[in-house]
Amino acid sequence: MNILVSYNWIKDFLKTKVSAEEFSRHMTEVGNSVEHTQHLGQAFEHVVVGEIIELKAHPNADKLRIAITDVGQSVQIVCGGVNLFVGQRVAVALPGAHIRWHGQGGLVELKETEIRGVKSFGMICAPDELGFEKLQQSERVIWDITNLTDAKPGTSLAKALDLDDVVFDIEVTTNRPDAMSVVGLAREAAVAGLGEFLWKESKASKGRESKDKVSVEVLDKKLCPRYQAVVIAGVTVKPSPWWMQARLLSAGHRPINNVVDVTNYVLHELGQPLHAFDADRLDGGKIIVRRAKNSEKIKALDGKEYTLHDSMLVIADAKRPVAIAGVMGGEVTGIIEKTTRLVIESANFEPVSIRRTARALGLYSDSSSQFEKGLSTEATAPAINRAIELICELTGGHVASCIVDSRAMRYKPKVFPYDPKKVDELIGVTIPATRQKEILKRLAFVLKGSQIEIPYWRDHDIENSVDFAEEVARMHGYDNLPSMMPTGEIPFVKRDPWLTFERTSKEALAQAGCVELYSMSFISQQVLEKLKLTDGDAVRVVNPLSEDQRFMRPTLLGSLLEAVEFNQHRVDVMQLFEISTVHRPRKNALPDGCRRLIIAVVDRDGEFAFRRARGLMERWGRAVGVPMLSVEPNSTYELAHSARSAEVYLYTENPERVGFLFEISSEVARRFGIDLRVAVVELNLEPIMTAVSAHKSYTPPPEFPGASRDLSFLVDRRVTYAKLHCLLCSSHQLVKEVVLVDVYQGKGIESDKKSMTFSFELRSSDHTLTSEEAEMAMRVVVEKLKKTFDVIMR
Amino acid sequence: MKEQLKKLTSIFDKAIGAVRSVQELEALRVEFLGRKGKLAEAMKELADLSDKERKEAGVILNALKEKMLLRFESQKNSFEQKESSALAIKEWIDVTLPADAPSEGHLHVTSQTIAQIEDIFSHIGFMRSEAPDIDWDWYAFESLNIPKDHPARDNWETYFVEDHERSRMVDRGESKMGKIVLTPHTSNAQVRELEKGNLPIRLISIGRCYRRQSDVTHSPMFHQFEGFMVDKGISVTHLKGVLDYFAKAFFGPMRKTRLRPHHFRFTEPSFEVDISCGICDGTGVVNGVICRLCKSGWLELGGAGMTHPNVLKAGGIDPKKYTAFAFGWGVERTLMMRAGTRIDDIRVMYQNDLRFLNQF
Repeated sequence: MNILVSYNWIKDFLKTKVSAEEFSRHMTEVGNSVEHTQHLGQAFEHVVVGEIIELKAHPNADKLRIAITDVGQSVQIVCGGVNLFVGQRVAVALPGAHIRWHGQGGLVELKETEIRGVKSFGMICAPDELGFEKLQQSERVIWDITNLTDAKPGTSLAKALDLDDVVFDIEVTTNRPDAMSVVGLAREAAVAGLGEFLWKESKASKGRESKDKVSVEVLDKKLCPRYQAVVIAGVTVKPSPWWMQARLLSAGHRPINNVVDVTNYVLHELGQPLHAFDADRLDGGKIIVRRAKNSEKIKALDGKEYTLHDSMLVIADAKRPVAIAGVMGGEVTGIIEKTTRLVIESANFEPVSIRRTARALGLYSDSSSQFEKGLSTEATAPAINRAIELICELTGGHVASCIVDSRAMRYKPKVFPYDPKKVDELIGVTIPATRQKEILKRLAFVLKGSQIEIPYWRDHDIENSVDFAEEVARMHGYDNLPSMMPTGEIPFVKRDPWLTFERTSKEALAQAGCVELYSMSFISQQVLEKLKLTDGDAVRVVNPLSEDQRFMRPTLLGSLLEAVEFNQHRVDVMQLFEISTVHRPRKNALPDGCRRLIIAVVDRDGEFAFRRARGLMERWGRAVGVPMLSVEPNSTYELAHSARSAEVYLYTENPERVGFLFEISSEVARRFGIDLRVAVVELNLEPIMTAVSAHKSYTPPPEFPGASRDLSFLVDRRVTYAKLHCLLCSSHQLVKEVVLVDVYQGKGIESDKKSMTFSFELRSSDHTLTSEEAEMAMRVVVEKLKKTFDVIMR
Repeated sequence: MKEQLKKLTSIFDKAIGAVRSVQELEALRVEFLGRKGKLAEAMKELADLSDKERKEAGVILNALKEKMLLRFESQKNSFEQKESSALAIKEWIDVTLPADAPSEGHLHVTSQTIAQIEDIFSHIGFMRSEAPDIDWDWYAFESLNIPKDHPARDNWETYFVEDHERSRMVDRGESKMGKIVLTPHTSNAQVRELEKGNLPIRLISIGRCYRRQSDVTHSPMFHQFEGFMVDKGISVTHLKGVLDYFAKAFFGPMRKTRLRPHHFRFTEPSFEVDISCGICDGTGVVNGVICRLCKSGWLELGGAGMTHPNVLKAGGIDPKKYTAFAFGWGVERTLMMRAGTRIDDIRVMYQNDLRFLNQF
């Protein structure tokens, strides 16, 4: 969470001489990262106070006028502002100034120019053109500074409006809402050695016993541990003085009126949100802190109506809710010009309830964001006192009631044991106990023997003695710590075999020319249906960001086909693979995570794709040491082309089916919008991995020469290679190897036949084969072939 | 004999003059110099001569053999030269034509980065492991000192898996493990590793994570690597040592790291680890203009810290005896920070666009 904070404001509470750059660096080192630094003065160079002396019509443009303006000397400026008047004080950007055209885009250097034929020496600025977007009222309304300054025309605007400041954009960690404030940051800076911390709590207002009182009733003390309120009467609501507006602007707030501005000012200064009600519009003069009724409605200050739920806390009057507690006030009791009596609320709300309410309503405010981090019940009093001080000063009002204070329980500061040696051990260097204690004291920790008492503003974030090590270390400076390699025993852990298998698999496939995909693990209902899966097959996500994240994928096929569709318009040949875990639901247990490999070959020629996919599978298998993968035709797989589908078996003693090899059916292709042929292998890697052997052993080349013979024959087209090959291999003991040389169908051959040529390697292990022996063996082979299949030898 | 040899010489001279091809030349060679060639015949006849004559004839015969060999050699060379100049014309190719390379595969850049990270840490004894990407709330949150009402445990930031029966059990407080989540970080590996009970630990867990966020720097699915070291006497200085080593190994020897105090529930103290910017060399300024990549010379790498005692306790380890550190960073983010990567939108990494994939 970030806070914009003015250096001048910090300096109200920090006596310092360090430059903004040094401040940024040190604050970042102690944990309050300064992400940006903006020097306001630079933004206002060549911008001066001007006074309009005379207004004339523009000869060539209805919407423009010529303003003769005193900027120390009289100049002529063409201006489109609708709210110009003679005697008005305005901000004039002279040539050389850097402004933001119509409040948009980057800074542009202004030059002397001619607008529609009339010379213009500079520009009369609207607030957004000078970076004050929050002051912008509407289009073509220039910034009227008549009431903001008495400075002479020609005075620099920065000087006239006291804008010579630096604004830091600081990231404060979520555990430190106390540092989300000017005072909190000033304290951090002081401990970091950047200056002296000057802040003092405002004097406690005693309040006033009078008839004018506010009745406060807290019905849910769990969600509202503390509620303070006070009535201020005799108030005149009007715009705040410029100094306050300028500070709110630097903090990113829009100035509204002197009452609302004070609540925002105190929030920014102390980190405690406040709220102001119009006391006269609180029905029954009552404040009741209670849970909302179901379907109760409230119109908030943002002008929108919200429907509430009984888990939400509201501030109500006798009749209706008047604020969503800690989130936003209601419109009916908001501060308006006629308001003269106020109730100021300074309360503490339970953080989780605030967060859930804001989230449920989609309504976030500076107040809710601060409360949801967890604030101390003790922060309400300093804030209400500061608010009373400022409101009385700015509105002419006076305290008209006692300060009501409703508490759930008495406050007891937290205490934890502290041992400087433990701090040293964890950090790794010795920081003298005196130095440690000095740091802790300056952070307002109270040392009591071997115990430390926590200041109230840290009572949510300090939870343990180990937290003291962090406080000491960050103030000591991490940069000052040496960087050391850990010594000691290196644990021997056997590398997870899966990680080796995964890595060699990926490398083998990439080396074989495949491109690795990384797809989202999610899958939509729609894609599940395209793959003929039902939602019972997949792990369902309760809260997806979009429909395509509805499930966790139970297969790698869907994302792969989507990738094919995505790329097919640019390339028509692809070799793709992905290795990842897919998930199957299990009752009352973690989902079943299965490691999968998918390989796909995409081509215009489906038969080629099919055979190449198988080839890639086999090459991968050899590379990673898979003993053997065999395929069996299977025409029942519903996603497959019925004539181009096979099951893949791990060839062991008990062959186990480990996946499918198939061309996707035309129906599946159509569903995914794919125009090309896609052959796929999807394998379960777990059973395969267990059969892998990383050890390779050597077989010597044959000792005695053998003989080679070829055989060509015609056979029925549908007799598979696998069957023939199996027969030929086992047809004679001298046959050691049978390789398919050629398959031919077409011209010169009957249409239901194919011609095949096999090459045989015959060999004996104990003598050189004679050609007679080879001929004899081949005769046996041919006989067996003829007996089993209807073949015609060629 | 002398006469005979003279005749042989003149026959040879004539014959070799008439030869027109390598084949003819080879035939001639066999005819004269072969095992049963004319010269060999003459050699045989030497046996019948007297010692003196044999000696004389032998010298002549050897000289003749020498001469023939030279003629053959030079004739062969001249034929080969002619042949190769004929081939140079016949078999001319355009050597500047594009190459015909075997199709090229690519490992996804995330795979490559994970392998690099794994290797860097293995050199200092950190062994890689994997924890499930769908895990119990216990490992993802509860055991990591993250309170029940912490925003990270809202369904706003973390994905939950639907299991009605389980939810009812959790609501009744009957389950230590809690609900099932898509793990938002690899820190779920920590307590899983501690539970194995083997100390000391040097672990690098790399895996898939999920968070409900999608923009230029956030992908709903991404990868993290989690370093986890548990031993006696482990301190912040050791964490610094390991991080410096990684930064130099992964980003280059000139890069520096910085620990910036931060806040995480499962570490105390906690840090953001920054690395000096490779574009502006850590100065924050390039050619007089503010560096657009970094914040004042530093880039935010990710979180780290000394493991919270409650986490060690949850894993059954006595925090009085052992201390530990952990860090968990995004693989993609770390890659994107390496100068020259130039991936400016993380989401492009998981769109499976071949125009992206083929570049790595």
